[in-house]
Amino acid sequence: MAQSTVIQAPGLSTFLKLLKTTPVDPSVEHLISLLKRRQIRNSRPCAIATTALLLRVVGEFKGRDAAKLVERIRQVGRRLTSAQPREVVVGNIVRRVLGLVREVVDENADGQTPTGSEAPTPVPNDSLHRPTLASSMSTFSPLKHAVAEPMHVGVYDGNMSDSGELSRRPPLLSSHTSYAPPSAGPLVNSLFGLFSQPADTPSATSTPTGAHSPNGKTTFTQQNLERLGEMSRGQTSLDLKGEVMEGIRELQDELETSDKQIAEVALEHIHANEIILTHTASTTVQKFLMYAARKRKFTVVHAETYPHDNRDTHGVLLTGRKRELRQDEDDEDDKWKPLTEAGIQVYVIPDSHVFAIMSRVNKVILATHTVLANGSLVAAAGAHMIAKAAKEHQTPVVVLSGVYKLSPVYPFDIDELIEHGDAGGVVPYEDGDFVDKVDVENPLYDYVPADLVDLYITNLGGHAPSYLYRIVADHYRSEDISL
Amino acid sequence: MSDQTAEPAPAAAATSSQPQVAPAASTNGDAKTTKPAEDAPKKLSPAELKKQKQAEKQARRAQQKGPGGPPKEQGTPKDAQKQSKEPKQGAKNEQARPMPLRRRPSQSNVPIQKEPEKKSKKESRQAGVGLFFGHLYSQPKQQSMNGAGKDVHPAVLSLGLQYSSYAICGSTARMVAMLLSFKAVIESYQTPPGTSLARHLTNHHLSPQIEYLRSCRPLSISMGNAIRWLKDVIIKIDPATPEAEAKRDLLEEIDIFIRERVTAADRLIRDLAATKIEPGDVVLTYASSSIVEQAILRAHEAGTPFSVIVVDSKPLFEGKQLARKLANAGVKVRYYLITGASHAIKDATKVFLGAHAMMSNGRLYSRVGTASVSMLASAQSLPVIVLCQSVKFTEKVALDSIVGNEVAPAEELLSEAERRDLLPLKSMLPSSRAASKNDDKAATAEEEKPDTSDVLKWIAESKNLHHLQVLYDVTPAKYIDMVITEYGGLPPSSVPVVHRLSTSI
Repeated sequence: MAQSTVIQAPGLSTFLKLLKTTPVDPSVEHLISLLKRRQIRNSRPCAIATTALLLRVVGEFKGRDAAKLVERIRQVGRRLTSAQPREVVVGNIVRRVLGLVREVVDENADGQTPTGSEAPTPVPNDSLHRPTLASSMSTFSPLKHAVAEPMHVGVYDGNMSDSGELSRRPPLLSSHTSYAPPSAGPLVNSLFGLFSQPADTPSATSTPTGAHSPNGKTTFTQQNLERLGEMSRGQTSLDLKGEVMEGIRELQDELETSDKQIAEVALEHIHANEIILTHTASTTVQKFLMYAARKRKFTVVHAETYPHDNRDTHGVLLTGRKRELRQDEDDEDDKWKPLTEAGIQVYVIPDSHVFAIMSRVNKVILATHTVLANGSLVAAAGAHMIAKAAKEHQTPVVVLSGVYKLSPVYPFDIDELIEHGDAGGVVPYEDGDFVDKVDVENPLYDYVPADLVDLYITNLGGHAPSYLYRIVADHYRSEDISL
Repeated sequence: MSDQTAEPAPAAAATSSQPQVAPAASTNGDAKTTKPAEDAPKKLSPAELKKQKQAEKQARRAQQKGPGGPPKEQGTPKDAQKQSKEPKQGAKNEQARPMPLRRRPSQSNVPIQKEPEKKSKKESRQAGVGLFFGHLYSQPKQQSMNGAGKDVHPAVLSLGLQYSSYAICGSTARMVAMLLSFKAVIESYQTPPGTSLARHLTNHHLSPQIEYLRSCRPLSISMGNAIRWLKDVIIKIDPATPEAEAKRDLLEEIDIFIRERVTAADRLIRDLAATKIEPGDVVLTYASSSIVEQAILRAHEAGTPFSVIVVDSKPLFEGKQLARKLANAGVKVRYYLITGASHAIKDATKVFLGAHAMMSNGRLYSRVGTASVSMLASAQSLPVIVLCQSVKFTEKVALDSIVGNEVAPAEELLSEAERRDLLPLKSMLPSSRAASKNDDKAATAEEEKPDTSDVLKWIAESKNLHHLQVLYDVTPAKYIDMVITEYGGLPPSSVPVVHRLSTSI
C-alpha cells in the first residue's frame, strides 16, 4: 500500500488494485479511510468500490449460515455508511447485496418443493415453515393469496417499502413486520396491481437483480430469516456464497452498463435542433448526449458548475472524459470523444447565466448525485436553480440516473444530505484576510424537490418522479432499509 | 450517417481534396470535424457550401500563422524540461496581479478571432456565439487607445480604458465618471470661429468622445440618460451668451445634475432602504451595488443588529469587494457563490438588489444572475427590494435577457488559474490525439512549453465549442416586490410613470 500511494494518489483505482492482494478487514478499513478523506467520492466510484469490497467480504465469508452472512454484510455496511453518510450510494449497494443474500436463500427455499414453478410455491412454503407467525399473517388464506398472486407483487412491495420507512422511526419498529402484510390485502391490490404489473417486465430484463424480483412476494420477517438460516444449515447442496457472489458480479455489470442503457434511449428524448441545457461533467449525461449525437443534430448549453466541477466540465468538453477515469482507461481512446467532435455545438456558460438563457432552452438534462425515494434528488450545487428556472420557463427537466443511485431514503432532513466543501474552492487561499472576516460557504450539493422534475431516465427506462417509490420497492428489501 | 447524405455530392467532390492539402496533421483532424458542423444549422446550396469552406480554411490558416502558432510548438520541445518549472512561476505571478493583466491574452486574441468574421459573414454567424447573441456582436471591443480618433480628449481616453478593463464598473459610477470627464472636455473646449457653442459642441466635439466610450464598452442606460440630458442642456444655451459664461453654466449644470440625481438621490434611497432593515434580518444581496452597500452600512451605523449574505459569481467577483467592505465595517457577512444560491436564500429574510436599469415594463436589468437569485427569493416568499436611482429608469422594455444585452469577451470565462488546471489535458485533446495516432505516442508525451493562453487556443480551434458570456439579465417584474427610488418605494409597475415624471421636468 505504501509504495503505490507514493506513485499514485489514493483513489478508486489504487483501492481496486490493493483489494486483490489485501485481506478483507484491512480493505474495509482502507475503504473507510478513503471515504472519510473523500479520496473516493461521487456516486459511481463509491458504488464500484463498495461492490468490489462486498464481493470480497462475501468471498471470504466462512460458514454456510445465511443469517450470519447477512449480519456480516450489515456490519460492514454500517461502518461504510457511517464513514460517509452522504454518499448514499454506499448504503444502496449494501442494501442491494443484502437483498441478494435474502433472495438466494429464498430461491433455495422455493427450490426445495417438488413443483419448482414460481407462482404457487411460496404459499405452501410459507404455511409449512412459519409456525410462529403473527396472527395477522395467518389470516391470509392460501387460496386468496394464490389468486392474487400475479398482481400481488407490485403493491405488496410498495407497501413493504412504506412500512420499512416507518420502521426507521423507533416506536414503530417492532410492529412493522406484522403491520405491513394486512395492509396489502388482496382486495386493495387488484386495481393497483393492474398498473404495476407491466412495469415489472423491463426491470426483469434489464437489471440482474430485478430478474429475481418475483421472489419479493415471500415475506421476510426476522423469524422467517431465522427459519431460513436453519434450513440452509441443514441443506448441504446450497451454494450460498457462490450465488451471492454471482449476484454481486451482476450488480457490477449493472454499474458498468447502466450508462449505456440510459444512453440507448436518448433518441426517444432528444429531437432534432433542440437546445439542451445541462451541467457538471457527468459521464452519464455525456454518453447520453453522445448517443443522441450520432443521429441528431442539436445544441448543448453547458453550465460550468463553478467552483466544484468546472475543471472537470471544461476538461470533459475539451477532451471528452473525466480526469478520474484517465488512469484506468487508457486503451479506450476512441470511445472518449468530446461532444464537439460529434458535430454538436456546445456553448459553455457560467452558472449565473442559467436564467438568462433558459428562455431559449428546450430541455434541461440534469445529472444527479442521489435520487431519493419520493422522487426528489440531490445533485451538484446549482441544480436547484437550474430546475427552478426551467420550471419558471415551462421547460421540461429530465434527470438521468442509474438505478444504483436510487435510494430508499426519504428526505426528512434535507440539510443532512447536503455536503459542504472547503472555502478554498470559493475564495482562493491568497485571500486569507477575506476568509478571516467573512464566512465563506461552499455547499457541494443542492436538493431538488420532486415537483421540479418532469422525468427520470434510469437504466430501466423513463419514469415519472411519483413512480420512483415503486422502483425502490423492487430493489430493496424492506428489512434492509435501516441498516 | 446523416452527415454524409446531407452533403451534396458535387460540393463534396470539389472541396474534399482541399483539406488534405493542409499540411499539419492537426488540421486534418480539424477538417474532419468541420463537415458535420456546417450541416448543423441549415442546409446550404452547394455553391454556398463551397464558398464557406474556403473561407473557413483561410481563416484557419490565418489562425495558425497568428502569434504563438506552430512555430512555437516546434521550437520548444528541446528545452521543454528546462522550462517546465519557470513558466509555472510566471503564471502564478500573472494570476496574482488583477484584472488588467488577465485581459492581456484576450487582447492578443481579439484580432485573431475577428479575422474570420470579416472574411465571411455567414461563417461568423455560425462559428461565433451566433445562436444566442449573434445580433449583439456588432463591433469589436476597443481595448487600447490605438483606434481612437484624434479628437478624443485625453481624459476620455483614459476613462475608456478604465471602462473596458472594468476598473470603473457599475452604471452609476460609469455615468458620474463620464460626466466628470465631459467637464474636462468642456473646459478645454473652444468654439471654432463661425459656429456657436450650442450647435458645435454636441455634434462635433462631444459625439466623438461618446463614440469612443461606446467602443470601449456599450453605454449604460444611465449614461445614455445623462448624455441625452446634457445634449438637451447644451441645445438650450442661448447662442448670444459669451462662450466663457456658457461653459461655466454648463459645468455648473453638470455639477447640479450629479448632486441632484446621484448624490442626493443616493442619500434618500439609502435612508429609506435602511429603515427596511429590521433587527434580526438577514439581508441577501447579489454581486455588488454601491447603493445597497450604502444602505447596509447606514443600517449598521444606526445600530440595527442584522447580518448580510453576499452571493457572487464569476468572472468579475464584484461581491467579494462588497463583502470585504462590509466586513471591514463590522457587519456580519456570509459569502456564497451563485451555485450555492438556493442554500443562501434559505437563511435570508430580505433581498436587496442593485440595478443597472429599470425597464418600462417593470423588469429589472441588472448583473447576470440577479434573475436567478430573485426567482429563488420570490419562491421562498422573501421580499425582493430593488434600490435604483430614477436616472437609471428607461423607456426601453424587454421580455428576455437575449434581445438586448452586453456580450463580455468569452476568454474571461476561464481565469488564469483555471486555464492552468486545464493544461495537463493537452495530450488528450482530440486534435493531438489524432496526431499521436500518426506519429509515435512518445512524441506527444513530450510536454510543450505550458502556456495558459494555449487553453484559449484550443477552445478557439475547437470548431463547435464556444464560451459564452453576457453581463446582464432581465428579471421579471413578478419577482420584484418594491423599487426604492429617491421618490420613495414603489411597485415595479410604477416605473414608467416615475420615468415620465423625472424626465419631463
